[in-house]
Formats: sequence, structure tokens, C-alpha cells
Amino acid sequence: MSLALEIRPHPTDDRDAQIERLLLRAEVDDFNAAYAAALDAQRLVDWSEMFTEDASYVVLSRENHDSGLPVGLIYCEGRPMIFDRAFALEKTAMFAPRYLRHIVSNTQVLGVEPDGAIRARANYVVLQVLFDRPDATLHQVGVYHDVFRREPDGLRLAKRHCVYDNLLVPNALCLPV
Amino acid sequence: MSWQFAIARSELRAEGVTGVDIGGVPVALYRLGDEVFATHGICTHALAFLADGYVEDGKIECPLHQGLFDIRTGAALCAPLTEPVRTYAVKIEGDSVYVDLDGAAADVASEAALNSVVPAPSVKRAVIAGAGQASAAAIRALREAGFIGSIDLVGAETHLPYERPPLSKGVLLGTTQHEACARLRPADLTALGVTAHLQTTVVSIDVANRLVALSNGETLAYDELLIATGGRARALDIPGADLPGVMSLRTYEESLALGEALRLAKKVAIVGGGFIGLELASAAVELGCSIVVLEREPELMSRVMPAPLGRAFRSLAETHGVEVRVSTSVEAISQSDGRLSVRTNHGTISADLVVMAVGLEPETALAVQAGCDVQNGVVVDAAGRTSVANIWAAGDCALHHAEVRGRRIRLESWHNAEQQGAAAGRAIAGAAEAGEQAALPWFWTDQFGLNIQVLGIPTSGDAVARTGEDAAKGTIYRTFEPATRRLTGLVAFSLPPAIRVGRAELASGVPFDPALVDAVILSQDENSQEEMMNSLIKMPAASGQAAAEKTYHWPAAGLTRVPDWVYTDESIYKREVEKIFHGHSWNYVALEDEVRNPGDFIRSNVGPTPVVVARAEDGSINVFENRCSHRAAEFCRDLRGSAKEFVCPYHQWSYDLKGNLAGVPFRRGVNGAGGMPKDFKTSEHGLKRLNVTTHRGVVFASYCDDMEQLTDYLGPEVLAEFEATFDGRKPRVLGHYRHSLPGNWKLYHENLKDPYHATLLHTFLVTFGLLVAGNKSLMLADASGRHGVMASAKSDTTNLAADTKREMRAYKEGMSLSDPRFMKFVDEFNSPWSVTMITVWPNLIVQREMNTLGIRQIVPTGPNEFIMKWTMFGFEDDDEEMTRHRLRQGNLMGPAGFLGLEDNEAIKFVQDGMISVPDGEHVIELDPGNDGTSDTLISEAAIRGMYRYWREVMEL
Repeated sequence: MSLALEIRPHPTDDRDAQIERLLLRAEVDDFNAAYAAALDAQRLVDWSEMFTEDASYVVLSRENHDSGLPVGLIYCEGRPMIFDRAFALEKTAMFAPRYLRHIVSNTQVLGVEPDGAIRARANYVVLQVLFDRPDATLHQVGVYHDVFRREPDGLRLAKRHCVYDNLLVPNALCLPV
Repeated sequence: MSWQFAIARSELRAEGVTGVDIGGVPVALYRLGDEVFATHGICTHALAFLADGYVEDGKIECPLHQGLFDIRTGAALCAPLTEPVRTYAVKIEGDSVYVDLDGAAADVASEAALNSVVPAPSVKRAVIAGAGQASAAAIRALREAGFIGSIDLVGAETHLPYERPPLSKGVLLGTTQHEACARLRPADLTALGVTAHLQTTVVSIDVANRLVALSNGETLAYDELLIATGGRARALDIPGADLPGVMSLRTYEESLALGEALRLAKKVAIVGGGFIGLELASAAVELGCSIVVLEREPELMSRVMPAPLGRAFRSLAETHGVEVRVSTSVEAISQSDGRLSVRTNHGTISADLVVMAVGLEPETALAVQAGCDVQNGVVVDAAGRTSVANIWAAGDCALHHAEVRGRRIRLESWHNAEQQGAAAGRAIAGAAEAGEQAALPWFWTDQFGLNIQVLGIPTSGDAVARTGEDAAKGTIYRTFEPATRRLTGLVAFSLPPAIRVGRAELASGVPFDPALVDAVILSQDENSQEEMMNSLIKMPAASGQAAAEKTYHWPAAGLTRVPDWVYTDESIYKREVEKIFHGHSWNYVALEDEVRNPGDFIRSNVGPTPVVVARAEDGSINVFENRCSHRAAEFCRDLRGSAKEFVCPYHQWSYDLKGNLAGVPFRRGVNGAGGMPKDFKTSEHGLKRLNVTTHRGVVFASYCDDMEQLTDYLGPEVLAEFEATFDGRKPRVLGHYRHSLPGNWKLYHENLKDPYHATLLHTFLVTFGLLVAGNKSLMLADASGRHGVMASAKSDTTNLAADTKREMRAYKEGMSLSDPRFMKFVDEFNSPWSVTMITVWPNLIVQREMNTLGIRQIVPTGPNEFIMKWTMFGFEDDDEEMTRHRLRQGNLMGPAGFLGLEDNEAIKFVQDGMISVPDGEHVIELDPGNDGTSDTLISEAAIRGMYRYWREVMEL
């Protein structure tokens, strides 16, 4: 059966359509949990493999996003650039060791395009712990604007634009969001 | 063998090192005289190119940590190196140099040995009595010089030759294993054709028949005999010297045992305050012991050092909690209840462990028996010849070949063992002897976290001059003969480059002038006051506080030291806001593009002070404080926008786009009651307005009303670079980053006046070939020292083949980018540089990193933190692909940029260090004698230039 283009609850939805909607959201939730787990464990190459070959991955401030300005803290066109980000961070970057905890919530599946691309969004929070401080700091808080595509081995991100609210980045963003 | 062309011989640097790339393998080629040698191009210790290193005495010194490799053998000669570097066979045909990446240099030697016609097989037999470091050096030199006779090595220990310096350092602490000290390994015996007789000594020499008798009953015939028997730890002839718990140090096993004993001991008495005694004290402190050092003489090291230097070593030890008692001689040691009592001429000390470190007794009995001239050491010439034919001596048992101020002395050091051993080896093999230009004596000692290197031979009567703080990291002491002012030695506290410079100073013979090196002459007498170079700086305490004045001392060393208070002190910060940000300076506030139309405004800052930048109806750009003149409210809260006027929300006071007060609600009261005084004039209560100027679309503001034009403020050189980036095309904003940075704002300027860090911190640059230490580069400082431009050229973009090769050379093998698009440089600027970082005092950085362009605005918020606002931009005529290219390349910079994040982390680490360990100072020494423009990356001259200016403006 084909999914309804409009995925929001609708009084005339039948039960099957409701179940499809819930399953899809659960799948996106599962994806986001796996995504967060890869970043929390700093398995960056695994993280880079969660994107499609032509994916767009951008971390940008809400300030730029709302003004239509394109500059991102991280700006990747395509999986090779995403892989380079992972590879360069692992092999060359110098930063103080830290633990991160990505918490993704409020997932919404916004719609499914005719070509099967799934538009979604979710809120995220990144907590950061430096080894010499007692507190976990709120390193970034924002929204994922996503497009997923279904590939043979499951969902992959064709787009993830991480739009963060806390405009003043605390010192440096050493690991992806 | 597969020979590959490496380079034309004529392109090799004479007596130096040249880097080449052979099929992706970085190779360093060395030209020593007529010979050429090759090693792998990367140091075995850290990622550094040996081609950037320094060649001396057949050794290559790694540029990063001064590790030395033997160019001919690849051997790692000193800490921190533990692994030899690979050597490659080299052959020369005509002007072409070929390298065989599969063959080591030694293969060539053996091949050559096989192929060449051997002149008459030599039946010479060399016997070496003693198996220490000098013996190992002699053996290597013998074989290198072509000696093909037999070599018998006779040594008392169970070990083949090893280095002794780690015994009082790493071995004691358990951080260095025996393998790392080895100077001759079992495999070397085969390779070098050596027969070892270990746990055996030579008991006698039959000079007439050229025979030696061994302790195991054997007899060896010799043609040449080298006595390298070293010495033993001197024992004191006092009661109790042989008690258990009284230890000394000479061998590896003794070091292990001593390390174990130190771990168990609480209180340790060290008898003897020489280098070994102090190194032991340092290690014991590290192991948690409480230490007392007992020195018979009135000052430490008085036999080998002038008193002021002994005092420096003493103060270093004392600062680390070591109790030093001078003029204290030990008379007896006794034991009761498992503790030792050390009786001295000044009372008794109890200890768990007593370590004797009273020097070395040279092992000369054998030489005496053979009839050699012995005077507290075997007398030798520069080649190691003794007074008896065919008998040679080297190392700790031998005297230095020349008199030092009328005296023959022994130099008990690693360096001397190497030098004397090698000289004797070469001479025995019949090779040409090194002349009198033999390297100056040099040794090092590791104490209390400092690596102290000593060059030359200071003696106790010398005068001492100090550059830097007492016994501190980075300080240099020079010793000289008071009468002639001839330099005799140089002691550098954790400053290895000083030794290289020192060699030239000592060799020059020029009379020493302390003023040239900012030195103070130290008094021989401890209690007299030192001559002060620097007056005290007094500053009034912050207003409202007690009248006490706070005193700031700039270090006597001058600009090569920057004290921590410059970065951490609240009063200094306040003075900076007043004298610098609110003083005579042009501060960046906006790009014109951000206030394109009348009514457009943004929030910005001048120093910490919030301002509004607005374009008025008449097209003028105005900058005024974001502080209501009524009740101080920071009235403008939006980052940007468009407005007809500004209204403070608290009491609705309104201001026009130029900051003039327009309306005051109920100014005349209500019904004649209340209201402002009659003489209240709105014209007198406008917002504080700043002086404004623009240049090429960039807006600057100043609190100072008589500022010179911006172009004059920048000066011609910085202006030229500014205009190379702002080249007349209209800048268009692509977006912003903002981040906080827990460091002092000046550290950011310094980071961009410090080209030294670029290839060291940013592994990314080197790994992916964007910048290597040899790239064309410039660190420009303007005449005042306040502005700067760090510039580099990616490499020759007109020659693609050469370019590729250059990058390959820089690759860490096996690493490349999957999507190299963002490394592309579109040559859009009329400039020889692919990268320029312009620092415009006090708050602007203009970044042109290839094609990613950005403004960085510094907003200090206190001494320990600032905010950085980035405005990334392109130009009006960029097409979409160019914009995307700029965005992709933006991954290099900003708080998540491959380079940017590292700078932010490094600056945080610096501030962390100053907060955690306060009241220190920074060492800013690179590129001495210069405090302006420099064309080497290895320079800190621009930082010193900046502080020259800063001190002027701050009146400090």
C-alpha cells in the first residue's frame, strides 16, 4: 500500500494508515538512536556511513538559518566530505578529551515525497563532559531538519541540517552533532 | 636492488639535508663532503620532516625535539629517539643521485666491501678493555673507517655497552628500559664482527708481547689495545660506608636496585651535590621521598661550576622541596632499629637510605700496570693515544686531550665518551684524525622537570651572567673569564636552541657583552643584591579599593618573556579597555553590507562595550553606545534589523538613527506637575557617539576623536594586504559564527603572530599538504608592531606536477582526502599569497584562507575570556559554485573548523595553565634579535613587536 502524502493525523485515516505512520516514526526514532549512539561512542566513520552518497550535512546557527544565510559551522556536500570530516577529526584533530551525550526527541515525520524521501524533524540536545569539570554542560541545543531515503540496508540521511539555538558556541565544536 | 632517481646532485644542499619524494616515500638526502647518504624523511619519534632539520657532525637533528640520528647508520643517538631511522643505499652516476628504497645503507657498505679489491687482508687484532659507551663508539668508528681486522670486546658487566645517563633518570623511575639504553645490541656483534667477552676483565697487559690476560684465564693477542675501563663510584673512607642501605650508582643493576630502595624509603640522604646527586634528588622527589643533600663544599657543584651557577642549581632543588646542606661533611654512618644515622660536622641526620654520589674514581690500574702516563686519568692526545705504543684510551678513564686553563681534567659525559671513543676508533683504523676543531664539550642533566644543557667548560673562578629569571625554564647562564671576558661556557635551562647559538658564541672568541643578551652579571656573593635591569612598575589599585598600589614587574629578560599578569589580571584588563579599545585605535564594527539600506542596524561591540551600527536616512553610518542615556538600559536587543528610530523599552526614550535623543515622554510633566527641569536639553543627552570611518566596505569606529585616517593607521604594508583581500569587489555576508573562548583576547592576536604553531598544532595542514615548514611564508609586522599579516603560499600553482609532488611529500603516508574539492585554491586575488591572516589592532582579524573569507571580531569580556564573532563573506559577483566553494572551504575555520577548533582549544589550554599554575611567564624566544617582520615560520618576533607596542600604550 502507498503511504498517504499527508502524514498528519486525519479524522478519515483508517487503522492501517495509522499503524504505518507509527511504524515509520518508530523507524526514524530507531535511526536517530543509532545515530546518537555512534556519535556518543565517537565512532565517526560509522557515523559517516549513515548518510547517502549525495547527502547534505550542515550544522548552522538559527541566526543564519532564519536569515537565509548559508554558512555552517560544518558544511558537507556528499558522503565523501562527511567521511573526510570523520577521518580528519580522528586522525589529525587536537582537542581535549571529552564525553558527549546526544539526546534526540520530539521526532516528527512531516511527510513522504512521491519518490519515497521522508521529511522529518527532531529536537536534539548535546551534553558535553570535560574530564576535569564536574558538570555536564549543555553544549548545543537545536533541531534536525532531515530528509531520509530508504536504501537496501535501511534508512539513510540524504539531508541533515542541524540548526542550533545557542548562537554562542562554547569554545569549539570538536565533534559532529 | 632497484635504483630510483632521486635528485640531481647539484641540487643537494652542501653539508646539509634535502628532502625528496620517491614514489610517495619521503626521503632525506644528506651531502657530507663528497658523499651522499639517504634516510627515510620522517623522524621516528613524531611527525616531522628531517629535511627541515639541522645537520652537524654527521648527525641530523630533528627540527621538532632535537633528537639526533647518525646520518650514516640511522642510529638514534639521544632522547627522545628510541628507534633508528631507516637508511637507504645511495649511488651517484654523473650528476644523478639514485636511491634504493629496498636496500639499507649498510648493504652498500658490505656490497662495496665484497666488490672492491681488498688491499692485502689485514691481520690486525683490536682488543677493547671495557664495554661501555666509549667502546661502542670506538667499535662503530673502527668499522666505519674500514677496519677489517678482529675486534675483541672485554667487559665486566653482563651487558653489552649501554648509555649511563638514563641510570640516574628514566631507569631509576622505571620509565626507561634497558633496551632503550643499549649502544650495542647482540645483532650488532654479528654485523660489526665483534667477539664479546662479558663478565670478564682484562687483568694484565704484556706490553712487550702485546698480550692481555683475562680474568677467565684466557689470553688475547692484540695489535691495538683500547683501554676504556671507565670508572667506579667513589666511596668515602668513613665508618659505616658499607652498611646495607648505603648505596651508590654506576651500573644498570645498581640503578634498578636504587629505584626499588627509593620506592620503599621515606627519608633519603644524598651525599654529594654534583650533577648525579641532584639528578638522584630529582628522581627521588618524583618517587615521593623527602631528600636532604649533603655537600662538603660551601656551594653545590663548586668543583665544576662557578658559585652563582651552583646557587642556581641549589635554588632549583630547594624550590622542589629538597633540603640542601652545604659545608657539611659526612663523618660516619651507623645503623640502629633499621634506620641509618649520618653523622656530619653539623649534627646527625637520620634516613632510611643513604646514597653516595661523591663522584667517579677512574679505573686506571690497567693503564698504570702497562706503564701509561696516568694523572688522575690516562693521559691521551686528541686521537686517544697513550704514552705507550699501540695502547689507546677513551671515555671516563681518560683525560681530556687538552689542558683547560692549565689543568688536565676528565670530562665524564655521554658526549665525551662518544667523541673520545670515536676518535680512538678512527685513529686505530688509520683514518685521518679529526683536527682541533673537535666539538665543544657538551652534556645535559635532567633535574626537576628541566632539561639543563651545558656547553663548554665553565670553571669555578668564572664570572656568570644570567639572561632570564633565576633557575627558570628558558634562562641562559653564560660563564666567562672575568679578566679577558672570554666566554667559557653556556648553561641553558630547558632551552636547547640556545646551545646551537652558544656554539657560535663560544667559537667566535668575541669578548662577552652582557648588554647584547639582556644579561645581568651575578654576584659571586650570595647576599649582595643583584644589579636590577628593570624598575618596578606601579599602578594605582582599582578605584574604590584600598589605596595600596599593586606592583607589576616586567621580567628583566625583556620582550622574550611575557608575564602571566598580562593575561590574567583584572586591573590590567580594565586598563586595556581604557587605553586600547577606548583609546587611540580603530575598532572593527561591521561590514557595510550588513547595513545596506537606511534604517538597517546591527548590534556590535567596541572592546567589551556594546554599540549599535546604523545607517541613517542620509546614507551615513553611525555608531553609538547601546546604553540609554537615561537609566543605562541596553536598549537594542535584536542582533540586526531595520528601524526608523530606537526606543528604549523601559521609559520610551527615543533616539534617531544617529543616536540623538529625540523624545522624552512626559518631559514637561502632566498637568504642570513633574517633568524634567526647565533647562533640560535633549541635545545634551544623546547617546555616546563614536568616530566612524569605512574602507573598502569595512566599518571601523573609535572613541578617539583625533584619529589618523585608517589607511595611515594600518600603514602601507598592512594596507596593501587589506586591499588585496578587500580588492574592490563588494563584500556580501554569507553568515556568522559566534563563540566564547576562555582565554585572554591577546592570545588570539599572538596565535596569528606565531607562525611557529601552524605546522605543529595543525597536523591537518601537514598531513594534507596545505602547509609545510618549508613553504614560502612571511610574518609581517607593521612599523608599530601592533598589526600583522601571517602569509603563506600554498606552493607554485603554475607548475602542477611540482605542486602534486610537494603535497605528496607532506602526506603522512596512506592519508588522503576522499573529496579534495575543498582544498582547491581558486586564484582570485592579485597576491603572491594563498593564505593571509591580517591582525588589525585591537579587535579585527581578516581571514583569507585560500577562498574562504572571514572577519573575526574580538569582543573581550574580562581578562580570562572573550567572544569571537565571525562574519564570513564572499563577493557580490560570486556565482553559486563559487559561493559553495567558499562554504566548503569554510570547514577549515571557525569553532568547528579543522584548524579553528584546534586554535580555540590551544588558547583555552594556555589560559587553563596560567590559572592552574599562576605567576609564571611565557617564553617568547624564537628568531632572536628580531621583533618585527620575519620570513621564517620559526619565529616569534611579531609577538615581541606587539608587546613592545602594548607596553608603550599601557605605559607599563
